[in-house]
Amino acid sequence: MNVVVTPAMLGQVVISGILSGALYAMVALGLALIFGVMRIINVAHGPLLMLGAYATYFLSTAVSMAMLFVVGVLLERTLVFRVVDAPELSSLLLTFGVSIALVNLAQLLFTSDLRSVEYLTGAWVVGPFALSKSRVVAFVFAGALTGLAFLFLGRTKLGKAIRATSQSREVAMVCGIDVQRIHLVTFGLAAALAAAGGALIAVIVAIQPEMGQIWTFKSFLVIVLGGAGNYPGALLGGILLGLIEQVASLFLTTQLSEVVAYVLLVAILLVRPTGLLGGRQT
Amino acid sequence: MSRHVALAAPVAVALALAAYPVVASGYEVRATLQIFMWIVLAGSWNLISGLTGYVSFGHVAFFGAGAYAGAILISKAGWPWLAAALVGGGAAVLLALVIGYPCLRLKGPYFAIAMLGLNEVLRALVSYFEGLTGGGNGLSLPTLDATVPIYYVMGLTAVAVTVLTYLIITSRFGLRLMTIREDEVAAEAMGIDTARHKLYAFLLSAAGPGIAGALTARDQGYIEPISVFPLATTITMIVMVLFGGKGTVWGPVLGAVVLFVAQEVVWARYPYVHPLLFGALIVAVVLLMPRGVLGILQVRYRLPRTI
Amino acid sequence: MATPVLDIDRLRKRFGGVTAVDGVSLRLEAGRIYGLIGPNGSGKTTLFNCITGVERRDEGRVVFGGERVDGLRPWEIAQKGIGRTFQVIRVFPELSALENLLVVTRDRLAAARERADRLLRFVKLDGLRDEYAGNLSYGQQKLLEFVRMLMRDPTLILLDEPAAGVNRTLLNDLLEAVRQLRDRGKTILLVEHDMKVVMGLCETVFVLDHGEKIAEGAPGVIQTDERVIEAYFGR
Repeated sequence: MNVVVTPAMLGQVVISGILSGALYAMVALGLALIFGVMRIINVAHGPLLMLGAYATYFLSTAVSMAMLFVVGVLLERTLVFRVVDAPELSSLLLTFGVSIALVNLAQLLFTSDLRSVEYLTGAWVVGPFALSKSRVVAFVFAGALTGLAFLFLGRTKLGKAIRATSQSREVAMVCGIDVQRIHLVTFGLAAALAAAGGALIAVIVAIQPEMGQIWTFKSFLVIVLGGAGNYPGALLGGILLGLIEQVASLFLTTQLSEVVAYVLLVAILLVRPTGLLGGRQT
Repeated sequence: MSRHVALAAPVAVALALAAYPVVASGYEVRATLQIFMWIVLAGSWNLISGLTGYVSFGHVAFFGAGAYAGAILISKAGWPWLAAALVGGGAAVLLALVIGYPCLRLKGPYFAIAMLGLNEVLRALVSYFEGLTGGGNGLSLPTLDATVPIYYVMGLTAVAVTVLTYLIITSRFGLRLMTIREDEVAAEAMGIDTARHKLYAFLLSAAGPGIAGALTARDQGYIEPISVFPLATTITMIVMVLFGGKGTVWGPVLGAVVLFVAQEVVWARYPYVHPLLFGALIVAVVLLMPRGVLGILQVRYRLPRTI
Repeated sequence: MATPVLDIDRLRKRFGGVTAVDGVSLRLEAGRIYGLIGPNGSGKTTLFNCITGVERRDEGRVVFGGERVDGLRPWEIAQKGIGRTFQVIRVFPELSALENLLVVTRDRLAAARERADRLLRFVKLDGLRDEYAGNLSYGQQKLLEFVRMLMRDPTLILLDEPAAGVNRTLLNDLLEAVRQLRDRGKTILLVEHDMKVVMGLCETVFVLDHGEKIAEGAPGVIQTDERVIEAYFGR
């Protein structure tokens, strides 16, 4: 398997990696928030993304995000809040139950027919590099939304309350933060971000009920790379994942690059259990 | 309950099951075969997750590994299915060793994440080594109607897993496994090598699914990645154990039987919403009865642990 | 001079920016009872954790009976003969009292049962041997944790706040047990906030403040040491 790697190829790969990385980061941010604030692994993250894609297909991105925000809040209010303090098996199973219910619901409502959004096809050619138009657009939007999310987390009162709660629930409570409300908002926010991710992904791949599954796993990878509870880390983790995947695809088939990502995941968890960039121990 | 009666009941059931294929239809034998398979899966999952508390979220990987190992041996090397099944179990144990050694060091949620990913990776590997595994097209086995003998072997495996569970729970090894669930830090401070114990439990929990996978592959005559690595299988075995009673001997058996029958009934009546209902069931079990039927009874009536 | 049971040499442990244990050295001789005191946050439990392997030290050495043990896993250290109890009780709640004791030893079952029964009788818990440890009262759990630690017949015993939350009668029983252990040649190091206990029981006391050992000596001497008073009460 001798592949001659030219600087141009490398450059292309880096660019592609960064483009997809921003998208990974944005999608993972929602999962990271839930994990950080509530210590819950939301296996239903992928299906929420999928619902966002469908909502965007039939309505619009903004409406989709708003709708999914409400869905997230409802889920937390009715089900998830009950397993916040339970052993993690409970929350894993609960969110998994929700995830297969959501996927089935989508199959019932929308059938498994593939749908696609013909938004921007083709690529811009800049020097020796080809930049897929849809991916660039996705990058810009993802970047903007992630930027907004970080502004929200860093500058607004609610955002700071969220960060405080994710550092220590007890201390947050003592400081007068309504932790229940924070959980509601966090879940809703995560769902909205997932929806946005779905909207952007819908431009690149076909929409079908199962599309979300792989994103749950990739979001985990990002969190592990970036560190649990380390939100800026999720950003870097996303870019890192994008780069790793693209570079690996130079030498290996796409399937093996998944294996590489997984081995990396396990290796990182062993060496630095708090994530590559350092997060918090659970 | 006198010992004789307590022993007589399972023995009677065993005899009845042994005679079953003579009187039952092909469909009924197949269904019971499947129940045996679920008992093997649920009972094995219970060995690692029910006893040590380390939630293995990718346990179906062992089923799939055994299925592929067995199928490859049968179709490419002409092995008899019984030997292939045993090797399937061995392959699964080997996989458990390779994965378990690093991953069992991870803390709760990270272990879950690592195990979740295992599925995807194995599926990817199967696709990659197309020549050997047939990739996405799957692997066909030479036709053979061996359902009845496989019924017996699967049944014996189910018995073996249950007996193994009983032996472990009544031994000090089993007690040590439980201390990992109760308080791993304290267990280590008391001189228990938790890493080694977790690994042993993990290895033991992989053998059953490996054998069951190979047997199932032989019985179906055909396997493909989706059929042997679905996350839903892991979830089903987990819910069966949760429902029946985690950490008990008969809990997984109870859960397997009840939920399999329920699933068949529901699936027959409501095929389109079946996953939806299943998801709802999972949510209900998790929220309403996390200790499971036998777990609740055990605490309420101070029943022995060997229940 | 005989090999000290425990020899800690310039131990240092950092957590991020905080140095919890800052160059602490101490030696323990066999058959004596030592106390470890200091204001909250002075590093006492961290020191315990470094000795027992729960935390990995950053610098320094821990030598037990002439053998280096820093860097070993907690269970290896426990198997070498160091036993400990915890600040927050850590019995195994869903195991019975008897099982709590049986599970920590690999001796033949018959011998282990005998020993377990004797220890349970010693702390008057033999009537509750089949009760789930989680159902026992606080004091009972404390005693259970104490005898569980004794099942392996450790040479060095670390007690983390044995007097906390314990009534006077129980406490006297415990202290008497500790004295008996000392008489049998065991070495005990206890962390304690209850000064009466420390002064009445310990032959030598170490004082930690902000991770450093600021004093060492007989209880009476420590009590009047200026630095100790400063540490507890400020200037």
